[in-house]
Amino acid sequence: MLEGLLVATIVVAVAFDFTNGFHDTGNAMATSIATGALKPKVAVALSAVMNLIGAFLSTAVAATIAKGLVDSHLVTLELVFAGLVGGIVWNLVTWLLGIPSSSSHALIGGIVGAMIAAVGAHGVIWKGLVSNVIAPAVLSPLIAGLVATIGTWLVYRAVRGVPEKRTNTGFRYGQIGSASLVSLAHGTNDAQKTMGVIFLALISYGAVSSTETMPPLWVIVSCAAAIAAGTYIGGWRVIRTLGKGLVDIQSPQGMAAECSSAAIILLSSHFGYSLSTTHVATGSILGSGVGKPGAKVRWGLAGRMAAAWLITLPSAALVGAITYFIVHAVGGYDGATIGFALLVALSAAIWLRSRRAPVDSTNVNEEWEGGLTPPSVKGATGAEPASTLVDAP
Amino acid sequence: MSAWINYHAVWKILVFGLVVGAGLPTLFAVGVRLNAEGASVTGDTGVAHRNRVPVAISSAIFAVVLIAVTTAVLYVARDFLGQYTGVYILGAKHN
Repeated sequence: MLEGLLVATIVVAVAFDFTNGFHDTGNAMATSIATGALKPKVAVALSAVMNLIGAFLSTAVAATIAKGLVDSHLVTLELVFAGLVGGIVWNLVTWLLGIPSSSSHALIGGIVGAMIAAVGAHGVIWKGLVSNVIAPAVLSPLIAGLVATIGTWLVYRAVRGVPEKRTNTGFRYGQIGSASLVSLAHGTNDAQKTMGVIFLALISYGAVSSTETMPPLWVIVSCAAAIAAGTYIGGWRVIRTLGKGLVDIQSPQGMAAECSSAAIILLSSHFGYSLSTTHVATGSILGSGVGKPGAKVRWGLAGRMAAAWLITLPSAALVGAITYFIVHAVGGYDGATIGFALLVALSAAIWLRSRRAPVDSTNVNEEWEGGLTPPSVKGATGAEPASTLVDAP
Repeated sequence: MSAWINYHAVWKILVFGLVVGAGLPTLFAVGVRLNAEGASVTGDTGVAHRNRVPVAISSAIFAVVLIAVTTAVLYVARDFLGQYTGVYILGAKHN
């Protein structure tokens, strides 16, 4: 019985890693796609490969995702399963709306929610939640934004007076290089989080000793493959918001934004500071709009994005809690089967909804006219804007 | 309060982030500028010719940026490389 639940939990964890990949492709590649430095399909393929490599590179076990946030003695398989469902559902909903929200927050929210449902609020280490999750969420976009602002300003200062056509090729190469670095950093960071969760599930099942420091190789391989596959699918809706919605971005800005993102992500994992790659990337892109003299930033959109970040933890927690109640009430393998079936049904519904106003590699770069839905799609079907992320006039 | 916000890590990330995350792209931009200036100087005859000095400096700058990035990636991957290849660099942990 329990074995079935373990298998279900691992399958859902890998599925979460996949959504993590396609939700976050935009963090690295949105600006390169928007400036035309890379063709959309080439960009996602490159990002996928770098994520795959990145997932293998860092061996620091990210059991941190649960350690210090919830009481690890109280963690059960049902709880991990429910938390992952919460994370996946929130990732899919925000993808539908084209919101670059944090996959890490979705996962943490789901697990915290499931923990509260299971044993109550005392199962959550609130201080750890604030210092490892909430404070970084406020600080990291600010730090990344500041670094990107200064970087962008200095880059434009350095090439002042040189005609743009003479510098464009150079900056495009710089952008491709820096975007690859962000993808690599993303792989080292986010794939690790799912590995940590599977590791946690294996420990709670007793399949792996809790003194083990490295997850088994098959865990690393499957997580790396899942995040790379997700990245290759390309979350075009989120890419469009980040690349076209926030700032009308040029190659020098894109390069500065990505250098800031890559530096902050890699530095923070080195200093043991957990943060969301999405928050960093979004802060950097905003910063690159602030740092370029005369550039326009759509602050209204940025504000709605920040609002979505605020509700990510509680929303994913709610889904995680509901899932836990359902799975636990039915119990064991049957509970997991029902939870899994509900997840599949909901995912299918969200996917069908997204087809009403599809965003893909062919229309991702169309002008941002008041919302996520590309003008050609709007014209063809008369569809309503697919998201609430509509620009105020 | 410091237990709630990890100031120690934050200021390090900010300082190193500025040096690497803003410094390297700026250095790269200086390279791009020198390269653009050196690559096509139009002389009195109206014929473009290369000016070697700025081009050479820009190449040196690109090399420095490339070395910095390569070193950083190797640094991140040092434990992994050590474990699977037996080559321990940049202070990699011995297992």
